[in-house]
Amino acid sequence: MMAASQTADRLRLFGRILHMALTAVWAHRLRSSFVILGVALGIASLTIIVAAVDGAERKAYQIVDSFGPDAVFILGGDIRNRAVGQRTNTLSYEDVEVLRQSLPGAYRVVPMRAQHNLPVRFENQKMQVANIVGATAGYADVWNWPLSEGRDFSEEDILRGAKVCLIGDTPAQELFGDRSPVGRTIYIDKLPVQVIGRLSYRGFSGGGGSIDERIILPITTLTQRFNLDRKYFRALRVKFTSPENMDFHVENLTSLLRKLHNLTEGQPDDFSILTADEILKFLSMFKGGLLLFLGITAAVAILVGGFVLANLFYLSVDERKEEIGLKKALGAKNSAILLQVLAEAVTLTMIGSLFGMAIGMGMAQLLERLGILEILFSWKVFTYSTLSSVAIGILFGLRPARKAAAMVPIEVLKG
Amino acid sequence: MSVHPVIRLEEICKTFSLAEQSVDVLKGISLQIDPGEFIALLGTSGSGKSTLMHILGLLDRPTTGHYQLAGQDVSQLEDERLSELRNRMVGFIFQSFYLIPYISARQNVMLPGLYSSTPGRELKARAEKLLTLVGLSDRMDFKPGQLSGGQQQRVAIARALVNDPQVLLADEPTGQLDSKTSGEILDLLSDIHRQGRTVILVTHDQATANYAERKIFLDDGRITNS
Repeated sequence: MMAASQTADRLRLFGRILHMALTAVWAHRLRSSFVILGVALGIASLTIIVAAVDGAERKAYQIVDSFGPDAVFILGGDIRNRAVGQRTNTLSYEDVEVLRQSLPGAYRVVPMRAQHNLPVRFENQKMQVANIVGATAGYADVWNWPLSEGRDFSEEDILRGAKVCLIGDTPAQELFGDRSPVGRTIYIDKLPVQVIGRLSYRGFSGGGGSIDERIILPITTLTQRFNLDRKYFRALRVKFTSPENMDFHVENLTSLLRKLHNLTEGQPDDFSILTADEILKFLSMFKGGLLLFLGITAAVAILVGGFVLANLFYLSVDERKEEIGLKKALGAKNSAILLQVLAEAVTLTMIGSLFGMAIGMGMAQLLERLGILEILFSWKVFTYSTLSSVAIGILFGLRPARKAAAMVPIEVLKG
Repeated sequence: MSVHPVIRLEEICKTFSLAEQSVDVLKGISLQIDPGEFIALLGTSGSGKSTLMHILGLLDRPTTGHYQLAGQDVSQLEDERLSELRNRMVGFIFQSFYLIPYISARQNVMLPGLYSSTPGRELKARAEKLLTLVGLSDRMDFKPGQLSGGQQQRVAIARALVNDPQVLLADEPTGQLDSKTSGEILDLLSDIHRQGRTVILVTHDQATANYAERKIFLDDGRITNS
């Protein structure tokens, strides 16, 4: 009973002190607004950082997702230590056949060839398409890239070297506008091909150029009609049935290819294997760099906000020492004074944090519009901003608050 | 007839140490004040009357000696306890009023009550009653800056009474007021005394002290009359 009424008394006192703090904050609006501004700038940069890092992470997962966790990508030549004059045309048709037949766990082996920057025409619309890619049956499946309409290549299309193609979103938009491209005939250079399917919009680039700017032809058609080397492929894509055994698959693949290429022990690989894991590693390095750079910026900005707060509160406590001394003379305990000053500080930093989040979101959206950053807003932004603003308030308000609480009434009340 | 004194001082000494020099400001003060007395504490500056007032008001502790307030020895209590007792038992009136400038007269009067356990509604009612008592029923929502000096001191008097203290301590309450207003304030203090409150008036001015029933002269840290 006693304890309950004591708790009630404490809560009431807490509420009253909070009210005093709010009244004081409002009464000193000008000074308050400086603190709010200082903190808002710090929180704004924090908001941008959290949103940008989340955005980068989302992008990383999108890239990995489209790459597929169950796939590897084999490039001719060693991209890590590219020796001078080393051959990059090392992946042969024979390699593809052997991998198809004897690599355990692999259910698709797709050779890849590409032509770049060919003129493409439909009726009067003309454009240069950056990537003309050769592929085998089931392109959409192998690349986890759904078709928005039409159908994928069949085995027969590949065997016959059929004059059909899948069209990426960018050329589809440019050549056909709102019309459906499926069933129409376009000219790639001088070759007429029928569009049988349209790839869905992907919208993010894997570095340089739009990923949607592409047209896919059967690999046989590409090789025959555009006079490409028939023996070697630029790259191979292999899909496995069990993505959890990726390390094992990569090891198998490496030793099989080394054997096929007659490499002896000590000789470097003449091919490179990329997995989703490695892409993730690269992306997390990128994310780490972003975090470090933006993190330092935010830390500095928040520190500046904190020092603005600390200095203005020293000033405020000094200017209001009569008020503080009076309150102590009238029976306010040290803890009540400490609490009031801290409550004032935290109130200001929390208001600052709200403004900061608003500014940060605006800035982040601007950066995204300008294509500088990928942005993702989440509750994380709100949580981090609020927590760090409370932390700034307490951390930087504590010394002025202690100073206020330690004031001796008879020293500050003269006469 | 044994009325318990509200204040009993026994051999109170206060020594301040300043840079290896110690100064005896109070040199053995013994004094009793009964409930309902109106006392004037008179002395020139440097006589020690401010220090004595601080000790009486629980704003400072004696170096040696005993101080009983309402029967309780308060000479060497810790700060937290002194805060509580000041809040409950002592009402302060200062020469320069010390009102908080950015809140209303009513809120200023309520201030000491906010640190007590008095419920808010009761506190507000009390503050309004006291403001009416000091003649400011039509100024409750005014901020200190909108009030005259005399009116500000009336607000301060109402504030001093809000926690129903045992002792009212007025430190040169008319020091910043003209003579007419001073008379009004001292009349108000006399009224409050007549309603049964113990009032201690600290002053250097004989005319002001004449409002009190008993005068205590302080000189060089000692009481020179009794």
